[in-house]
Amino acid sequence: MFVCIHAPKIPADLSLREFAYSFSPMVEEVRCGTVVIDVEGCELLFGSSYQLANEVAGRAKGSRIHGGLETTVSVAIAANPDAAIHAATRLKGITFVSSGEELTCLGEFPVDHLDYALVNVEKKVADEILETLKLWGIRTFADFAPLPVTGVSERLGQEGIRLQQLAAGKTERQLRIKQPAPVFANSIELEHALSELEPLSFIFARLLHQLCAALNAYALATNEVWVAMQLDDQTTHERRLSLPYPMRDHKVFLKLLLLDTEMHPPQAAVRAISISCEPVKPRVLQNGLFVPLAPAPDKLELTLARLAKLVGEQNIGSPALLDTHRPDAFSMKRFALTNKSDFRKRRKKENRQSAIGNRQCLGFRMFRPPLRAIVQADQGWPTQISAWSKQRSVYGKVVNLAGPWRTTGNWWRDDRWARDEWDVTLESGNKTSAQQSLYRIYRELNTKVWFVEGNYD
Amino acid sequence: MYVELHARSAFSFLEGASVPEELIAAGVELQMPAMALLDRNGVYGAPRFHLSAKKNEIKAHIGAEISVQRPKSKDQSPTNICSVPVLVKNRQGYQNLSRLITLMKMRVPKHAKPGECVVTSEELAAHATGLICLTGGFDGPIAGAINRRVAESAEEAQRSVEWLTDLFGKKNVYAELQRHFDREEEARNHLVIEIARRNRLPLLATNGVCHAIPARREVSDVFTCIRNHVRLETAGRLLAQNSETYLKSGAMMRKLFADLPEAIANTSELSSRLKFTLGDLGYEFPKYPVPPGETMTSFLRKRTEEGARLRYTGVNDAPAYEKARPQIERELKLIEKLKLEGYFLIVWDIVQFCRKEGILIQGRGSAANSAVCYSLGITAVDPIGMELLFERFLSEERGEWPDIDLDLPSGDRRERAIQYVYTRYGKLGAAMTANVITYRGRSAAREVGKVLDFGEETLSRLAGLVHTWEWKDPNDSSERQFRNAGLDLHNPRIRKFFELYQMVQDLPRHLGQHSGGMVICKGQLDSIVPLEPAAMPGRVVVQWDKEDCADLGLIKVDLLGLGMMAVLEDSIKLIRDSYGEEVDLAHLPQNDPAVYEALQKADTIGMFQVESRAQMSCLPRLRPMNFYDIVVQVAIIRPGPIVGNMVHPYLKRRQGREPVTYAHPLLEPVLRRTLGVPLFQEQLLRIAMLCANFSGGEAEELRRAFGFKRSEARMKAIEVKLRQGLLKNGITGKTQDEIVLAISSFALYGFPESHAASFALIAYASAYLKCNYLAAFTAAILNNQPMGFYQPFTLIKDAQRHGLKVLPIDITCSDWLCTIEEETGRRGDGEKGRRGEAGTREGEAETLGRVDAAQGEHRVPASPHLPLSLFPRLSVTESSLALRLGLKYVKGLSKQSGLAIVRERAVRDFLSIDDLSNRVPELRKDELRKLAAVGALNFIQASTGSKTKVSPKTNRRDALWQVERVTRAPGKLYEALLEKDGNSPLQQMTLTERVDADFRGTGLTIGKHPVAYHRGELNRLKALKAIDIRKLRDGTFVRVAGWVIVRQRPGTAKGFMFLSLEDETGVSNIIVTPQLFDQYRLELVGHPFLLIEGALQNQDNVVSVKASHVKPLSLEPQKGTKTRNILFKFP
Repeated sequence: MFVCIHAPKIPADLSLREFAYSFSPMVEEVRCGTVVIDVEGCELLFGSSYQLANEVAGRAKGSRIHGGLETTVSVAIAANPDAAIHAATRLKGITFVSSGEELTCLGEFPVDHLDYALVNVEKKVADEILETLKLWGIRTFADFAPLPVTGVSERLGQEGIRLQQLAAGKTERQLRIKQPAPVFANSIELEHALSELEPLSFIFARLLHQLCAALNAYALATNEVWVAMQLDDQTTHERRLSLPYPMRDHKVFLKLLLLDTEMHPPQAAVRAISISCEPVKPRVLQNGLFVPLAPAPDKLELTLARLAKLVGEQNIGSPALLDTHRPDAFSMKRFALTNKSDFRKRRKKENRQSAIGNRQCLGFRMFRPPLRAIVQADQGWPTQISAWSKQRSVYGKVVNLAGPWRTTGNWWRDDRWARDEWDVTLESGNKTSAQQSLYRIYRELNTKVWFVEGNYD
Repeated sequence: MYVELHARSAFSFLEGASVPEELIAAGVELQMPAMALLDRNGVYGAPRFHLSAKKNEIKAHIGAEISVQRPKSKDQSPTNICSVPVLVKNRQGYQNLSRLITLMKMRVPKHAKPGECVVTSEELAAHATGLICLTGGFDGPIAGAINRRVAESAEEAQRSVEWLTDLFGKKNVYAELQRHFDREEEARNHLVIEIARRNRLPLLATNGVCHAIPARREVSDVFTCIRNHVRLETAGRLLAQNSETYLKSGAMMRKLFADLPEAIANTSELSSRLKFTLGDLGYEFPKYPVPPGETMTSFLRKRTEEGARLRYTGVNDAPAYEKARPQIERELKLIEKLKLEGYFLIVWDIVQFCRKEGILIQGRGSAANSAVCYSLGITAVDPIGMELLFERFLSEERGEWPDIDLDLPSGDRRERAIQYVYTRYGKLGAAMTANVITYRGRSAAREVGKVLDFGEETLSRLAGLVHTWEWKDPNDSSERQFRNAGLDLHNPRIRKFFELYQMVQDLPRHLGQHSGGMVICKGQLDSIVPLEPAAMPGRVVVQWDKEDCADLGLIKVDLLGLGMMAVLEDSIKLIRDSYGEEVDLAHLPQNDPAVYEALQKADTIGMFQVESRAQMSCLPRLRPMNFYDIVVQVAIIRPGPIVGNMVHPYLKRRQGREPVTYAHPLLEPVLRRTLGVPLFQEQLLRIAMLCANFSGGEAEELRRAFGFKRSEARMKAIEVKLRQGLLKNGITGKTQDEIVLAISSFALYGFPESHAASFALIAYASAYLKCNYLAAFTAAILNNQPMGFYQPFTLIKDAQRHGLKVLPIDITCSDWLCTIEEETGRRGDGEKGRRGEAGTREGEAETLGRVDAAQGEHRVPASPHLPLSLFPRLSVTESSLALRLGLKYVKGLSKQSGLAIVRERAVRDFLSIDDLSNRVPELRKDELRKLAAVGALNFIQASTGSKTKVSPKTNRRDALWQVERVTRAPGKLYEALLEKDGNSPLQQMTLTERVDADFRGTGLTIGKHPVAYHRGELNRLKALKAIDIRKLRDGTFVRVAGWVIVRQRPGTAKGFMFLSLEDETGVSNIIVTPQLFDQYRLELVGHPFLLIEGALQNQDNVVSVKASHVKPLSLEPQKGTKTRNILFKFP
């Protein structure tokens, strides 16, 4: 006999399958919220099938402390698993489907509810068959079951026969029993809340060690680790460590996690910690014999994390130009080692570009940040400039200029910009020792403020 | 003085962001003396640019940017293609440009990819005369040369300039400089200046204008995104660098080019060299080829003479030929004076072709005012008999070409007429006028929303905001609409969307083709306007729309498709084949009592022009009694009379409830026929002529000035003249004001009497055919769907209520189209006729009005609810005929399969479904299923009698059972196991299942009306039938229920909504007030079945319910019936 348990409202943190294992090891998880159990031979433990079903329903209502699900479940007992599944998913409470009387119970179910996946019928085929049945006026299992088998076979094929058997509750199959999937997550609840990093590091080390041991056991690695800390103020502090390539070295993880926690400390003392990861296949790499050694990726990652701690995350990485007319618009991309072929491709592209763009152009030294300037202008044309900061100062009379070069954009957003650029030759010093330098200045048109952006070599 | 000589309008589709009028307005504002429009590969916007410039007294230069493949290169990549701006110097230049663009466009399909639509250097050289070339901006030849090979850019640019000077001559090439505050552009300018000085080319400053004002840059960027299929966020450097491509004043340009004053000065110099304007188009209407020894004048006179003698022979009380002669002579003289003989002969030629081919054709519109048109057979309304005003059609003063609209049966027959014109005048001699598709409504909302990166859900909500109802609630502000849709206009993105949505309104999106307007210019149309291929094979369109063509004096002929013409033509054929009678539309019996009885009772479903809800509510009040009444009826339900408050006074006077008075005795002869109420445009012209001493042409000018509201100043001037004229005739004070008000309010929407008369002819013909040949008329109208106001289901139910027997779709009898059968046998075949009875076997009392022919002379409606007086009886001949639905009505059955069935059946009958499947391999499985589900396969076994292996009790389910078997080949291995008989274990369909299958499969049912199945439940709800409420008194509180067949909210109805609810006995008319509409908007708009409560209005036999409460109905089957849980699904 087979018992199907259907729990549509099971709490997310509870497992129906775990619950089912408490009755028999022969459990098939049909889908989330539905399991079917082979209870053959369980009579000595639980009594008759009906008693077993009562036991299942009663225990499911119980609290989680006592192994319950804290919810009401539907239970059906039948001679074949599919009939039990259909009965449990459609009928509330406990249903007993006698052998040979399946249609009495299932007969009124609409054919739309045939669980075609149970008999390995694809959705597309099943939909087509159901459409045909609809045209035939077949609406329930009871309508479908008595159709002549040869007629059904001729018209709907073997899939039709399988569905008809399913409707009649006459399928014969073994349960599809699966091994539980490995879990790569560990958590701990602390007796006393911790607010210092050092004691936390021991907890991190322990959890990460367990996690990496599990990964090792399955010959897996991870490139992303999630850490969630329950805080004293009832909030959760969540962090995600992204790694450039899959690893499973708990020491590296620990160092990275500690650095990250230093950069982003929790706002209150920590009461519980859980660490999980997404397992992936480890990277297998063999460096070439003549290729110069690059820094070890794990060490590089640690170095980058240390640098990020020093300068801020947004200030580390590789600059990448943005596709916009906005001058000097760039974003920081995560720094990553490129492999040899990538490097060669890039070199080749750069060479081609340089051949095309073989222009004679001046080098430009950009002031970061730009110097705010006081500019005297005659009818919009700059005539005198003075700007200074701690590091440098720029001043002088404009003796030559080109411009303005105007760019405006992002008009559909709040951060719209508009500016006029000028290339100016400034003359400074006295008449005997006058010096001329070439600068780029610009004026923010929204704020009317002038800046010196840099100078040409 | 600066002249902008390089401006693009929004007719550079998805590149420019301002319409030509905006550019001209900006030019006028900046006191620019002239301006040039250079749109991309076309002169689409040139007419509007020219007319707007003319109105504003500035000079409009014409040109275009032509995509050219650079010489000496086999590289086809887009980078090898540059855009050469050319300006038209003289008429030859314009003709060359037009031919060049035609050449480019005609060899590629309509939706050619960028880079495909180009001309070669040789082609450009062949058409360079009369054109002046600029070296272009960012996509010009020099910029292209620099971009291609930077290292050799100077040499390459030099070669490009040499290429251009070789093509156009040194004097006709200008080195173009643009300054948009861009570094790269300035570097290019340096090179251009250097090359220009070296080659002694004049410098020319332009601003490469893409929009009239800086704010329009946003639209330009949005268009860039649409063109490149990107979002604003991801468009990057595809967007404009700044907003500088707007129209700049001379002062600004002088400041920009302070270092190059000659570049500015040269703009005036070049402008003075450009002599051509579109006013100098040189268009001449083609000459009609006449036989030797004839001139067009003599030929036209002869044809008119012949026609006039035929038409005016005293038939139908028409005035005799001699009476008509002076008017014809007057018209001919004017036609000759205006040199329009060719035009009339060409139209006559098209009409002759249609006559020969048996294609029904009728002229309408103002042409019906002409006795010459009537004599030539172009129109069917006698203008002399109807006292129509010729000046409305043609006048010497107006200086405009006449406009003849020809109605043709829609579909293939109209296409044949169009193809005849192409054949007769050559591919480059005739073309359809274009229809500029502009940004409007939902599409604009969607495209702008996409560019702003809104999600699909938000896009749908934004698009949903665009109202499709004709009526716009004045209180329905945009803020309110957005708020109702859950969108906050204070949100910057939503606000930006709203701004952009408004900015793109009415900007051109792409070019379509006009529904029927054709321009003809034998063999040389491509020198007048560029031509391009239409999406439809075999069609060519001009780059200008109908109005532009008219404004530039291009004569067009409108070949319009009219569904009802096709119905009339098909009806005549069906009558000939099935009734054995010949009906001549030109000689229909006048004043047929059945027609007027139907019209007076508003029993007009399916009839042309008088079937709408508004017409039906007016008919019982107007009670048409003769043909002129139908003319009035057609014209009265129009915005003009409604807005001008003419409808009620006319109806009251007609019913004798109000005395017939005239504002002034002078008006009496003009308004006598319409009881003192002006209803037609011609009357207004006559009033102006009689009371204000206007000539015919002046009167027409007056109508146009008021009608199109083109210029306030022009309207004011003509009003002054009108008042002066009235004063001279002693019409002053209130009377004068009344007349001026009538003319001004009426001119915009008023309907020409001639047009109404042409339509009334068709309306009368349709009514005559419906009343006398119902089967043929119904079959024809069903075969020409979609058309008219009503769904096929409503048309069928109406025909059934009139006693027509409708037979189901039957694979053994049905053709692709609906046909007529003799009730006792299919097309005279007695044996097959019995299959019709088989059709009723399945519980199919499928015809409501079906009665055994033996019952008597006339067929009577079978329903006990239908009194004999309500629906007219069928004639003896017709009572023996039945309508057989065609295979066309099986949804999802391809025409190819349907025709294949008919073809195979003609060879021999189908023996079984197996046989059908084998012999018609075109039939797909789903098509067979659909045929079985609608019962079309029920009769196969019956047709073969005892030969069938299958039980004779075939029903839809039997057929479905067999269909599944024949479509699945079992293979030889299993043949022995197969069932030997086709007995189906399935249960027959119930009544409601059949109705459901009918609606799913055909969109209609010939059985009982779906509402009839629920009458018990509706009775319990105390809902009355449509037929019952007619007997009740005005003011009675009633409840009615039915299926909503028509929803209308006309613009003239001040927010009222009109519903038509159909049940098994007829149609109930419901009036919904604006307040109630707001209250029940969802129910009224979305639910197919409604229960409505309200007070009955029964005035002058016009019955309607003024709704006070609305409830949606879900018509689930009643308990206790064997219908199972089926909910009807209706289309």
